[in-house]
Amino acid sequence: MATDAPSLPLGDAAEVRPLRKKRPRPADAAFHAAALGAVTITMGALVWLLGAILASGLGSLDWAFITDPVSTSAERAGFNSALRGSLVLMLITITVAIPIGFAAATYLEKFAALSRSQLEGNAYARQRRLHEMEAAGATGFGVTLKRLEVRASFLWARIGPPVNRAVEVNISNLAAVPSIIYGLLGLALFVSFVGLQKSLLSGGLTLAILVLPIIIIASREAIRAVPVSIEQGAMALGATRWQAVSRQTIPAAIPGMLTGTILAMSRAIGEAAPLIVVGGVAFGTQTPSINPTEANDTPLFAMPLQIFDWADRPQQDFLDLAASGIIVLLVVLVLMNAVAIFLRNKFSRRW
Amino acid sequence: MPDSMSDSPTTTTQVAAGTGDELVTTPTASAPKRPGGSHGVVFRATDLDFYYGKARALKDVNVEIHRHEITALIGPSGCGKSTFLRCLNRMNDLIPGTRVDGRIEFHDQDLYASDIDSVDVRRRIGMVFQKPNPFPKSIKENLNFGMKVNGIKPTAERIEAVLRKASLWDEVKDKLDQDAFALSGGQQQRLCIARAIAVEPEVILMDEPCSALDPISTLAIEDLMNELVTQYTIVIVTHNMQQAARVSHRTAFFTVAGMDQGERYGVLAEHGDTEKIFTAPADKRTQDYITGRFG
Repeated sequence: MATDAPSLPLGDAAEVRPLRKKRPRPADAAFHAAALGAVTITMGALVWLLGAILASGLGSLDWAFITDPVSTSAERAGFNSALRGSLVLMLITITVAIPIGFAAATYLEKFAALSRSQLEGNAYARQRRLHEMEAAGATGFGVTLKRLEVRASFLWARIGPPVNRAVEVNISNLAAVPSIIYGLLGLALFVSFVGLQKSLLSGGLTLAILVLPIIIIASREAIRAVPVSIEQGAMALGATRWQAVSRQTIPAAIPGMLTGTILAMSRAIGEAAPLIVVGGVAFGTQTPSINPTEANDTPLFAMPLQIFDWADRPQQDFLDLAASGIIVLLVVLVLMNAVAIFLRNKFSRRW
Repeated sequence: MPDSMSDSPTTTTQVAAGTGDELVTTPTASAPKRPGGSHGVVFRATDLDFYYGKARALKDVNVEIHRHEITALIGPSGCGKSTFLRCLNRMNDLIPGTRVDGRIEFHDQDLYASDIDSVDVRRRIGMVFQKPNPFPKSIKENLNFGMKVNGIKPTAERIEAVLRKASLWDEVKDKLDQDAFALSGGQQQRLCIARAIAVEPEVILMDEPCSALDPISTLAIEDLMNELVTQYTIVIVTHNMQQAARVSHRTAFFTVAGMDQGERYGVLAEHGDTEKIFTAPADKRTQDYITGRFG
């Protein structure tokens, strides 16, 4: 092989160029320095903040701080009322937001994409069944209902696709709406309109509306990550669309959907603004109940509200208490995010 | 490709690939023998046109598919052979904006008649996809799902029988509760075949079932098809002409047309007994394709 001379004029006589020595590359170095600087600023701010909070908060952080209810005296004041409030808030939020969010994501991802012609096809199929019923001499309530159904499905074939598109666009926009707006919505809807108390219940419901768009967006992504071939495989076995989606696609997407939900909850647990608007409190004579069925009669306590109240006072002791509260809130947040990361790593699947 | 099919009644057919002027003289052996039983018409497509949105994908397809036979659909990429296959079990219904013109009959019933339940169509006409697509669950659950949605009781005996039919039992009998994704590609594809026959279809459609598999798994699946055809009707799309010649009794050759009008759609150039298509094609395009001049 080597004897077959290549066509290149590279004989033995040609000199082999030695490898070049290292040399400085200023542009590379500058880019490196800039990137490092950006990271340093970010991490530095975080470390400084954490350091300051730990320094002032660790002193007053003990078991009594967790178990004592709120008090006007800094020595006796604890975080217990706020912790209980946040616990109930999270329970209410998750119970309301998960079913609605998952169902909306499933609908938008799997059923809203039907085109007008497909919807018309469904409508014509219903119409034919109606004609068959009429031809068979059926009368009464069933036929009337069927007639309405046929009308509705023809109407939906016309307006469905644009409505679905509008809904999709708006859900993305809703995720970017400032949280205080949701507070106003919650106050108007749950307190003024529905007539709930300014309580943990209306606070939890408000937070549920706040996190719904986030849950829907994350869940849609998780559903989209499951290959369509799974659904088609199920349908090729004679499953209906609903059976294929509900028994194959959704179960495969659940870890991702839960991860998104937990991250949405960790946003909700740190929200103060909407709760202030709905009527949050930072002081009460009674320990709030952790029974969710009594939530409408329980004052709206929450960790961020308590921290905000303490941090707003002039006395140094209360400022230290605020720092201790921040530490507790951060620990809860880190734990929630750890669960999310665990879920993602444990159940993530390469398709 | 090794001739490991000596047990089966088939013989390997060699197709001359690009041997120049000597047209279609080389196929040496005949296509496999048909199994016993009736070979009546199962599918009859009449003037079938298919559209993705406004773009025509198939034009004027007229073909019959017979019972207890393996029908191979061959042709160059983009000729609509997979599209045609997916018309046969109304899988294309799932894609928004598609439309079928003309008629496909399944046992003389219009498959696309408005009162036909497409769910029942897919139950009777099973499908195996190009890429193995087991459910992300255990082997057993993969088989149970189809039976459950069709109201068949998934017993242990049934699971064993189905896995035996798919020649997978010996490899998986001790790990039925294991994740199906842990199987090899060939095993996954046989699991998908097992899953399809577990719901007792009449027809099995296979969309390039071996294109993601190595030669040994491919031969395992071809052997399996030879056994299954005694009970089922099989339609297979394949890019591999040797495979078509090896396994099929009848071949339909699709090709691309309409380019001169600025369109691009698939037409059925020719169909008939595999032996005839490979030894004495009537259509010039078939001849060019199977001798490797085109495609």
